[in-house]
Amino acid sequence: MKTTLIIKNLCGGAIIITMDTDESKKTPLYDEHAKMGAKIVSFAGFYMPLYYKSIIEEHLNVRNNSGIFDISHMGEIIIKGRDASSFVDHVFTADVSKIGQGEIVYSLILNEKGGIIDDVTVFKFSEDEYMVVVNAANTQKDFAWINYIQTGFQKKGKDVSVQNISDAIGLLSVQGPKSRDLIYPLISDAVKIGKCGLFDFKFKPKNIKDLKHFEFGCAEFKDVNVEALISRSGYTGEFGFEIFIPAEKTAILWNYLLKNSHLSNLLPVGLGARDTLRFEAALPLYGHELDETINPYDAGLEKYLSDTKDFIGKEALKNIKNKEKRLIFFKLSGKQIPRHSQRILDENLKPIGCIASGTYSPSNKFPIGSAYISDSGVNASFLKNFFIDIRGNFEKAEVVSPPFHRHVKAGGSK
Amino acid sequence: MIKSGSFYFSKSHEWIGRDSNNKYRIGISDFAQSELGDVVYVSLPEAGKAYKKDGKIGEIESVKSVSEIYAPVDLKIISVNSKLNDTPELINQDSNGAGFIAEVEISDDSGIEALMDENAYKTFIADSHHE
Repeated sequence: MKTTLIIKNLCGGAIIITMDTDESKKTPLYDEHAKMGAKIVSFAGFYMPLYYKSIIEEHLNVRNNSGIFDISHMGEIIIKGRDASSFVDHVFTADVSKIGQGEIVYSLILNEKGGIIDDVTVFKFSEDEYMVVVNAANTQKDFAWINYIQTGFQKKGKDVSVQNISDAIGLLSVQGPKSRDLIYPLISDAVKIGKCGLFDFKFKPKNIKDLKHFEFGCAEFKDVNVEALISRSGYTGEFGFEIFIPAEKTAILWNYLLKNSHLSNLLPVGLGARDTLRFEAALPLYGHELDETINPYDAGLEKYLSDTKDFIGKEALKNIKNKEKRLIFFKLSGKQIPRHSQRILDENLKPIGCIASGTYSPSNKFPIGSAYISDSGVNASFLKNFFIDIRGNFEKAEVVSPPFHRHVKAGGSK
Repeated sequence: MIKSGSFYFSKSHEWIGRDSNNKYRIGISDFAQSELGDVVYVSLPEAGKAYKKDGKIGEIESVKSVSEIYAPVDLKIISVNSKLNDTPELINQDSNGAGFIAEVEISDDSGIEALMDENAYKTFIADSHHE
């Protein structure tokens, strides 16, 4: 059983807590993580590795070499049917049907009020078939929402079916500048058409070595006979791949890739470094930068809203005239780490916002964060001089332009 | 008097022990550092200040979490391990040695005798964390 609590936090946003009154689920790799001595935590209803040895070491190894992540907790939803293209254009904010076969697009799902239900990636197999990859914590919610919209479509005589295949899929992510040195030598050269593990490719995909960012193809890991859908995508700001395989093959492929770790100085990476990596790259995390009280303008994600078609939430967004809040990124001069939902104070110590994400930046060795601030709180002097209330200590912070892992530009006049 | 080189532990995972110069030191246990993960900041107690047993003397932050450090016994801070300001990772590397928190003064050993010795602490960890 799941119980969802929504608590209004101090800063006006909502904190959504999903409690598993049952045991958390295990990914197909749970036993492997436990054997390796990972520190295991419950996240989004799954027992997941937080780190194997050290968040900082795992983080830096992804920036410098390569890392492998178990992200099998993430959800996959298949949308199929003659009217699948008009359906995905209705549900998602981005121009989904316009992309080509074998391409991926990042998109938001909005509710009728323009609030963000989830941020997802959509994979196009054909005009009749798409796969949506959703946040683990939102899989049930997204599936229920998409099903609800599908019911409306069906009543109008449209042909769309929706299937949650999350439990059947294992998902590994290999990220870092050396990832190709691991993947390329281990996969077949031949381009596969037709059946690819649990997927069916009705088009000729590109060779994996020719994939550009946000494209996918199919290949076989020869030595272990594992067919995989491989995409050039990730959540770290680095070159990398995401590898979709049948759940029962996940442990075989995980151990095989780790056995070949010498090819790319590969280390297993837990959720701790997944979070610090995504945050340095300024990639939003649902529940932190995004939730149903936040609209795409607040989050600075308006470029993922199509101007050429209608989608759920578009009407409501037209009525949003004044931006109520905006997302900023900052660094701290002190050493204390800012944490989610701590207050932002202006130079007169007046509260003007709240932290979305806060962490230590392993690449920079200083604390960094993001915050939603009320728009009226923003003026030039604020950008130079404001404070984070860290358990009663007012720590000085400075606005910067992300990403944090390349070169940090000061947003103030320092 | 407790032996130098032996450590006594509180239920909140701090230790107190005597170093080779017969000075008392406090720190956090190896188990505590392994639970915290990479330590990135330590807020140290004030030199010269006296703290009651279980009183909060500082904070320790890892990448993912923040924990409070408590006095394992009634004590007075003589000096702090200021190396932790620039190299907080000493706590991960050597929590019972170079990663100590402070040098302290205590009035007598009775507070220490009420703590767990190393064997009792091992059992305590095993009983409270089935991992």
